[in-house]
Amino acid sequence: MGLLLQLLFVGLSNGAIYALIALGYTMVYGIIELINFAHGDIFMIGSLVAISTLTLLGITDASAPTGWTLVSVILLSFLSAMLACAMLGVVIERVAYRPLRNAPRLAPLISAIGVSLILQDLGKLWKGVSPVPFPMGLHQIFLTTAFTVETVQISIANILVIVVAVVLMISLQWLVTRTRTGRAMRAVAQDREAAALMGVNVNTIISTTFFIGASLAGAAGFIYALQFGGTIFTIGYQLGLIAFTAAVFGGIGNLVGAMLGGLSIGLIESLATYIPDSDRTTHFLFNIPLGIPHGGEAWTRAIIFGILILTLVFRPSGLLGQQTPEKV
Amino acid sequence: MATSIRPRTLLSSTVFAKWIVALLVPVLVFTFGWNGDLIVNRVLSGFLLPGSSAYDTLTLIQAAFFVTVFYLTTVALAGYLVASDSGRRGMVEVWVNILIFVLVPLGLVIYTNNLIFGLALCAIIWAVYLYGRRLLLRIFHYTPPPPLEELKVIDAEQQVILRSRAIAGSFWFAVVLAVIWLIADLFFYTTGTLSFQLLIWGIIRTILLPVAGYFLGQLAALIALRRVITPAGNGGNERKEARGRVSRRRQLEVLSTARASEEAKDLVPNDLPLRSTGAQRFYLLLLIAFVLFYPALDPLLFGSGTAGRLAGYGDAGFYVILALGLNIVVGFAGLLDLGYVAFFAIGSYAWGILGSPQIGVLAGFHVNPQIWPWFFWPMILGAALIAAFWGVVLGTPTLRLRGDYLAIVTLGFGEIVPIVFLELDKYTNGTNGLVSVYSPAFPGVDWSANTPIPYYYLILALIVLTLFANLRLRDSRLGRAWVAIREDEIAAASSGINLVNTKLFAFGAGAFFSGIAGMYHAAKLGTVSPDNFSFGDSVIYLAMVVIGGIGSIPGVIVGALVVYSINLFVLNQLDTIVADPSNGLYYVLNPIYTSISHFVPGFTFGSIRNPVFGIVLVVIMVFRPEGLIPSARRKRELHRAADEAAEVGSLDVAPGAPGFESEVRID
Repeated sequence: MGLLLQLLFVGLSNGAIYALIALGYTMVYGIIELINFAHGDIFMIGSLVAISTLTLLGITDASAPTGWTLVSVILLSFLSAMLACAMLGVVIERVAYRPLRNAPRLAPLISAIGVSLILQDLGKLWKGVSPVPFPMGLHQIFLTTAFTVETVQISIANILVIVVAVVLMISLQWLVTRTRTGRAMRAVAQDREAAALMGVNVNTIISTTFFIGASLAGAAGFIYALQFGGTIFTIGYQLGLIAFTAAVFGGIGNLVGAMLGGLSIGLIESLATYIPDSDRTTHFLFNIPLGIPHGGEAWTRAIIFGILILTLVFRPSGLLGQQTPEKV
Repeated sequence: MATSIRPRTLLSSTVFAKWIVALLVPVLVFTFGWNGDLIVNRVLSGFLLPGSSAYDTLTLIQAAFFVTVFYLTTVALAGYLVASDSGRRGMVEVWVNILIFVLVPLGLVIYTNNLIFGLALCAIIWAVYLYGRRLLLRIFHYTPPPPLEELKVIDAEQQVILRSRAIAGSFWFAVVLAVIWLIADLFFYTTGTLSFQLLIWGIIRTILLPVAGYFLGQLAALIALRRVITPAGNGGNERKEARGRVSRRRQLEVLSTARASEEAKDLVPNDLPLRSTGAQRFYLLLLIAFVLFYPALDPLLFGSGTAGRLAGYGDAGFYVILALGLNIVVGFAGLLDLGYVAFFAIGSYAWGILGSPQIGVLAGFHVNPQIWPWFFWPMILGAALIAAFWGVVLGTPTLRLRGDYLAIVTLGFGEIVPIVFLELDKYTNGTNGLVSVYSPAFPGVDWSANTPIPYYYLILALIVLTLFANLRLRDSRLGRAWVAIREDEIAAASSGINLVNTKLFAFGAGAFFSGIAGMYHAAKLGTVSPDNFSFGDSVIYLAMVVIGGIGSIPGVIVGALVVYSINLFVLNQLDTIVADPSNGLYYVLNPIYTSISHFVPGFTFGSIRNPVFGIVLVVIMVFRPEGLIPSARRKRELHRAADEAAEVGSLDVAPGAPGFESEVRID
């Protein structure tokens, strides 16, 4: 029971990170119908920026600030990651996607892949090939257990991750449903030309969407670095695809769907590690070992992609999307 | 009929001067600047003075073949170009074209002493030149000469004139070439670097060349006349059987006007030497001879290091096959496939398991290393069929999907398949991969890693087969069904095309060729491991197709070579040059390298391979999304108006132009 709870909790906190990244994917797809392959790498850059800001502020492995210093340091790092990623997102949109607004579907996709390659190597050139660690002292502060439920230890980092993610999602939902800009974004997503006729500046709105989506990715980058104690330049690619699966699973173009999808994929991923290793299992059914070779842990990516494929084949609109008919 | 070899009018003299100089300069650059005469002299001294040459007989024979073909083709080409000149383009324009498009690549290859690197630099110069020329033409409000508006019919008298012009052109070109060469030979003889036997050969050659020119001119006239429209009969063909068929003129009149005027531009006379279809046959002949005899020519042209270069070209070769296979899926059928590496992996593992001791381990028998490699040849078909089967299986879930969703599903499969190979290590040996995969067996040929020459010819053969299959597929009923699906699925289904079968066939055919490539790769490398197959490779294959031109066969071949050279070659070359002060480019590159190294520790040009690749992708997508060599169909869609300015350097197709490409949208 304790193990199950532990897995559930881990899945939820991972899922929160996936949900934040998935929101960026889904917002961009909803508004310009483009799969932004570079989004995962924006997340990676965000985590690198967060760690760099901490180093710039003078936080070393040994320092362990407390009180207001701690809060301000964390806040500064968080905001700088969000801001840097937001600007990066806007620049990418301007340079690589806007000229291709009217081009056939393949062109911006290839462009996005190109941008993703550039960003990955930017991260590699900037911080090197080996994992970039979060300052140890700070990381230890966050790893201290806040409280314990049954046998599951919940640390400050876990709480922070979930709280930050929930707060951001709620504020995003508020932004999209209750403000003018949000209404304009929904209008552009629904029908670009009609929105332009209604006086919406489409270019600005698209840039704003990229700004917001990328800032969420930056936030996700920060809390990822916080939770896991470091990043590496390939994390964008790995997590990006999982987050995209989450976005599709929940219904692409649908914000609540992305959040739900992220949480679900996080849960599924951690539950998949529960599948036993068929080479070592002690349970047999008709002489066939229960489980899969090397256990569920090695197959998580394959399982997630399997979910992606099954979703797209059987219910392409995802959990919460609408079934749109195919127009001639 | 009497054929005269004297130029008829003064106007003709300028024509002769124009073409003879235009062709002579590249030939002379090749002969004297790039060891052309060195090849000839080495070959001859190898034959006349046996034992003096450092090269074996086979190399010498191959080199002899090549130079013969080269010079004879050039002489014939001279005749063709003189015959097909219509006087609408001036001398300077032709000379500038020849300078930029022939001399610059030749010069760069000679200067850098490296084929791929020289061509890469040349491509950059071409891009800059075409862009600059377009700007200049726009500034000066240049209007090109009007296109041929009606199809000219060439009657018997004009045929005679054409023939005589061709013969005259070839003859005089050969004369001038022979005389210049003889003078050079005399000069070298007096300075002592040429032996007496070779001087005798030079004198013989001076007599032989003009005679050859006369006959080659007749051949050139024949080739030119095959394409003209004559008053009666079919394309200059006056044989009896032509009477029953529709005449070419009638054929062209029945086609749309745009198509007719486009075809008319291909017919003689046509004075765009680098674009006319007739002249392209000559270039194709030269290219085929060069590629075929390349292993023999490489030591003569480039000096040492042949083995490494040939191995590299072998790798470039399987990229070409992969690009051609992906072109079927993405280009012909319009099914965006981001997981193509999965089929490549299946092909590699097919031979990896069946063609290595692993099959013995799995099936429990002893694998005889002498007999087993012979299975390579039937297994080429076998691995291709296995890959095609899995292509159909993996394509089945995608049948109802469009556009982006299809891409994502294929991406998912492209990720799952390597994971499967990694984790099922009872069969595939997991992360360690399969080693000691057998090379193919052929009597008397050494397939070990020391000599890449057999692999070079093997990949050439495979490319020829793939090319042939692709061309036939494209022009078949199935190929047209693919294009119909690509353009509009619902209309195609309404026209009676079975969507499911056609799409599955597309996946299967694409996977078939990647299976062949995978098998070649496994045999050449000798090992198969799951690390070789990743999403990044799928991106590279897609980029090959996209950069080259989606759906166009020559385009994707060029795209594959371009991507290969960027990805694996050019940057490593830059690293070598930075370390080598004897190279001229050292003085340009070293300061750049040292200044960047100050900012980024551990910087090498090889490490920025990926971002350079990414930047190239983005730039190509923004500025030339139809690719380097767009397919003829796309060109026809875009250049509906007979605008000749567009044909010279069609960089000016903006995305978003009407009729650019029909989109497949997800609604």
